[in-house]
Amino acid sequence: MGKSDEFSSRWGLIFATIGAAIGTGNIWRFPRMVGANGGGTFLIPWLFFLFIWSIPLVIAEFALGKRSRTGTVGTFRIFGGKNLAWMGMWTAWISCAIGFYYAVVAGWCMNYFQLGFRGGLSGGVDTVEVWNNFLNTTELVILFQSLVIVITLFAIWGGAKMIEKANTVMMLSLFALLFLALFLALWMDLSDGSLDGALFMFSVDFEILMQPETWINGLSQSAWSCSAGMGMAITYAVYMRKDEDTTLNAFTMGLANNSISIIAGLTVLSAIFAVQDDPLATVTGGSSAITFLALPEVFAQAPGGSITQWVMMWAFFLALTFAALTSMISTVELCVRNFVDHGFERNKAVAMTGAAIFVFGLPSTFVWIHLDADGVAFPEFLEVQDHIWGYGLMFSGLFIAYTIWKFGFKIWREKVDAGEAESGLAGYIRHGVPAFRDEFINTGDNDLWIGRWWDFCIFIAFPVLFTVLIVSYFGDMIANTPDVWNPGNPRGLTIILLFWGVVGGLFVAFNHVFVSRPLYRNVPEGAGAGADISMLPGGDDDLVGVVGDVFEGWEHHASAEDLMDAELA
Amino acid sequence: MLTGSITTNAQDDPPEGLAPEDLWSEDYANHVYPWGGNDRIQFKQYHDYFTMKDRMMELAEQSYEYQDQSINIMSFHEGLNGGTNARGVDMTLNSYEGHFYSHASPWLKITGGGEELNGVDGGECNDFVGDCGNYAEIPDVQMIGNFHAREWMSYEVPMMFLETIAHYYGTAGIDNDGDGLIDEDTWGDSDGDGQLDDDGDCLSLASNFQDSNGDGIPCGPGDLGVDEDFPEQQITDLVNTREIYLVPMLNVDGNRYDREVFCGEDAWNCESAGWRKNLRDNGVEGVTPIPDTQEEIDESCDGVDLNRNFQYEWGAPLGATGPLFPGMCYAGGPNNDVYNGPVDDTDNDGDGQINEDHVDGNDDDADGQTDEDWWGGNSEPETLFVQDLTEMNDDDNNGASDFAATLSWHSFSELVLYPWGHCTGCETPDHEQLIYHGNKMAEMTLYENMQSSDLYPTTGDYCDWQYGVHDSYCYTMEIGTAFHQHPDDIDHIAVRNLGIPFYIAEVGDNPRERANIGIQEVEKTQWIVSADDLVIPESGPIPITMCIDPNFPFTNDDNYTHVMWRTVKPTRQQSDFGPKEWVTEDWKMTGFQETGENCTLSNNETGDLIVANVPVPEDFSGKLHYKSMLGTRSGTFPFSYPAPGIYEEINIAYRAPFGNPILAFMLFLIVAGTVWGSLGIAIQKMNESDQDEPSIVGATD
Repeated sequence: MGKSDEFSSRWGLIFATIGAAIGTGNIWRFPRMVGANGGGTFLIPWLFFLFIWSIPLVIAEFALGKRSRTGTVGTFRIFGGKNLAWMGMWTAWISCAIGFYYAVVAGWCMNYFQLGFRGGLSGGVDTVEVWNNFLNTTELVILFQSLVIVITLFAIWGGAKMIEKANTVMMLSLFALLFLALFLALWMDLSDGSLDGALFMFSVDFEILMQPETWINGLSQSAWSCSAGMGMAITYAVYMRKDEDTTLNAFTMGLANNSISIIAGLTVLSAIFAVQDDPLATVTGGSSAITFLALPEVFAQAPGGSITQWVMMWAFFLALTFAALTSMISTVELCVRNFVDHGFERNKAVAMTGAAIFVFGLPSTFVWIHLDADGVAFPEFLEVQDHIWGYGLMFSGLFIAYTIWKFGFKIWREKVDAGEAESGLAGYIRHGVPAFRDEFINTGDNDLWIGRWWDFCIFIAFPVLFTVLIVSYFGDMIANTPDVWNPGNPRGLTIILLFWGVVGGLFVAFNHVFVSRPLYRNVPEGAGAGADISMLPGGDDDLVGVVGDVFEGWEHHASAEDLMDAELA
Repeated sequence: MLTGSITTNAQDDPPEGLAPEDLWSEDYANHVYPWGGNDRIQFKQYHDYFTMKDRMMELAEQSYEYQDQSINIMSFHEGLNGGTNARGVDMTLNSYEGHFYSHASPWLKITGGGEELNGVDGGECNDFVGDCGNYAEIPDVQMIGNFHAREWMSYEVPMMFLETIAHYYGTAGIDNDGDGLIDEDTWGDSDGDGQLDDDGDCLSLASNFQDSNGDGIPCGPGDLGVDEDFPEQQITDLVNTREIYLVPMLNVDGNRYDREVFCGEDAWNCESAGWRKNLRDNGVEGVTPIPDTQEEIDESCDGVDLNRNFQYEWGAPLGATGPLFPGMCYAGGPNNDVYNGPVDDTDNDGDGQINEDHVDGNDDDADGQTDEDWWGGNSEPETLFVQDLTEMNDDDNNGASDFAATLSWHSFSELVLYPWGHCTGCETPDHEQLIYHGNKMAEMTLYENMQSSDLYPTTGDYCDWQYGVHDSYCYTMEIGTAFHQHPDDIDHIAVRNLGIPFYIAEVGDNPRERANIGIQEVEKTQWIVSADDLVIPESGPIPITMCIDPNFPFTNDDNYTHVMWRTVKPTRQQSDFGPKEWVTEDWKMTGFQETGENCTLSNNETGDLIVANVPVPEDFSGKLHYKSMLGTRSGTFPFSYPAPGIYEEINIAYRAPFGNPILAFMLFLIVAGTVWGSLGIAIQKMNESDQDEPSIVGATD
């Protein structure tokens, strides 16, 4: 084991977290959601939930990770107690399971970048044919999946510093590329004398605004796009410097994420509205259809001739590739961090995770590649994976909120026992609800003081919105999916519950195994009270230490230097 | 894996063409029906009375949904409640129970009708019949199977009809065969192009797979790939616009005896042809209905042929196969399979005379009354049940039967039979019309259409009675090639005959008018504007036009003559990686208006142009489905265009303005100000904080 690992600067953290948050969801999902939900109408709930859902959760995650200084498993072990370590496993697993197929998706983006760069998408090619051929050329899909994994592993092999550098380079490049694409797209849209795409994107239809579905979609886009509740911010907070801010950083990350979404939305909508006869029919289709079928056609018609078209094609797909890669880095790091926390050497952890991502991602490259009614290929196995694990993220968020509720309850009970607080709901509201915020958020390191609005978001808004999302998702599925209860139906509900049940059950059953290993916290030197966990359930866990500690029976985890230090001590 | 029902004919040459699994889903290629269930429900084994009844009850209790509304479309009954019938006779529930096993015939009332789709729970209730869901404006259709006990396919086909309704009601757009196409091959030759195999699926197969039912006709009805993808919407529409009275097994007594005693479970190996009649105890003395003292069936004499026991021209020899001495069994002699029941020796009209005015549509005794003192017939509980079901189900209280079309299932011979049966060399007044519908059904099945008496003369037959007494267009389907068809043949023969009850239900509103219109070919020449020719205006409603033959007696009532349309739009929660997902709205209705303009019918004659302005919102982007339904002034409804259960589909682009530039700019300022402005402030604050770091960070150190 070595010394603690941390980002070299605040901007390193910011770029890493922005990189994690900005992914394909910003660039291909957001424009589709805008198109399908009444243009600018959608921006209102989407923006509202940034402040009600996403930023409060990211603040919570930063606070949890900064104090626990471990990945998700350790964080739940420390904040929830030994019995709740499985919640961290769930969070890590969901990220990992998404990573299995996300590497394949990132590979698609990379392939389209190289195709665009080599002119393979220009000259009026049949984009459906290009897409179908690609998806059915398994070796090519695997090649790009492998490339994505190799780049990802390279970026995280070297720990926080390397992650920081990779994200900084790719994010800055992405900003530049997206601005270039936006400029060209606006030029396209303006070439017919109007800015239809921009006009649509900022116009409100009050009838649609009044529809619950619009708000539910705004919430889901905000929740997914920011990676709030995914455990990513917990993971990157492990590498925070000892006196790092958590609140302003969370705002910066959330706002940057939404800024990129707006730019991507404007780019895609402007380009599509510029050339498509029925732009709304295009933007309301599936996300991959917009990205890989419509956009190459659209970019190929950009004004300014072949050079402009060529630049637009590769610039957009390179930006998309960078967005996917930076998200991939955080996804893999989330898994790797948990191994490292439990005494695995980083190199081994990276290799194991990389191998798993590759092997378990393979089926998504070639299994069930079907044609839809329009003759467009789609990867049904991959889609089923997304169907099963996509909503598992919601429970990761719920677990995070639960630990906060639980901590508040613990503090309140202790105060009640000490005669410092009254019992009953009023006492819990007065002493329990603000406890987490007082103890872990408003620590003095922050540039922003967080008020009671955050308590409202986590204790009231979150459970209500979580319930709305889950009920609407499953209700919609039950109402509209044929044969929804058939376990053999890959789009049904039973298959989701089955997988969730098996995975969750296994994690609960083997919880004792996870907590029987020592946990090494990545506490920076001089962290002092900022790393104190004595008030937490994990504070009296004998197997929780810091990097460099040597536990009896687990000496093989320690480096020679650590062993010598321990001997001397 | 494919079942053995696919036969191999070409032994020598290697097959050319596709294998079934190359074209279709595995289930379809293996005759696995989507409703699941055991071998009986899958038509691999015969139902018996008990399993059939259980299944009927199960399907009746099942919940059905259409357009997000839960509807009871089926009610289960056995016999009739009774009361005083149309002939003034008091009947009870027991009056309809079989002589021997004491079961009344089980039946289902099927309808989703009513203004708010109230189904069998709405409308009027009929105390005598025992059903609710009676609507005066909805046509009734009666369909009866298994008059003759040994004709087992004659109740399996109605059960297939029932399963199909139960499974597909409320659904639409299902790819039944898994070939990637929707509703592309409906029953028979509905488009009149002479092709049963509309999509050519069966023809694409290797030749050794083309005669999957082994009847010697490649790509004929009942073969896989023929009529395999019917429009489910048509099923829902028919259920919602008809009251269907389905009696799969009329002769329960006889059927149980045939199965349990006379031939046994594997009756296809039966040494004799099987038991045909009911179980009336004729007694060796020929005196009825004295119970048999031994309580046993006298196979040489007992029973009445239920399809010789109806009153119309009952027992008249006329060269028929009836007994020389009607009303008498040949005591001690060989079994008479077509015994038509005892002579009625009561003075039915109380005028002191007996049997002076037989049921034949004439006033035989010139007393001003017709058919009031019958010679015999309708003596059996089963035929009385049919008679009272017909005569007491009078939704509109006009004293006439509500069943304008009726259907009976028999086996075997692969025939479609229409009245008359009782006379040779004679024709009904509706001869041409009856042939018209018969030909349509013969096209579906590749059966032969003929007048019943051309096969052999019969008396007291159900269809003669329905037509002769109640003016109902009645058809007899002679199904299959054996009385006890081998179980391997149940499924494909049932499929082959599936379109028939739907056809009868469709024409059941006014078969005479439909035949007349069909014979004149008026119906075929009319057209609704196709999606390719439909012009979408830049704003306002979308005009859907139709060209009508001036001879077509359509009504201006919007409830009967209208365009049905619905929008289909992408769901707002698309899968990120899957195919585009759509949400289909409910059908809406817009009436036609006459334009005063002419148009050209498909036969190049001049027609009248009518238009329905469909109010599709301008901000809609997606697909528009539309079809038209026409009704006639005499209430025949619907004539569907482009074809029953089929609709046109067109993509509709967003036609509204994309927004107001000033308001959009204001929202841009708000959004950009909130996101980018806040981001700018955050970055500025971060920079300030980094510069002031020592003074701030010290708080925890």
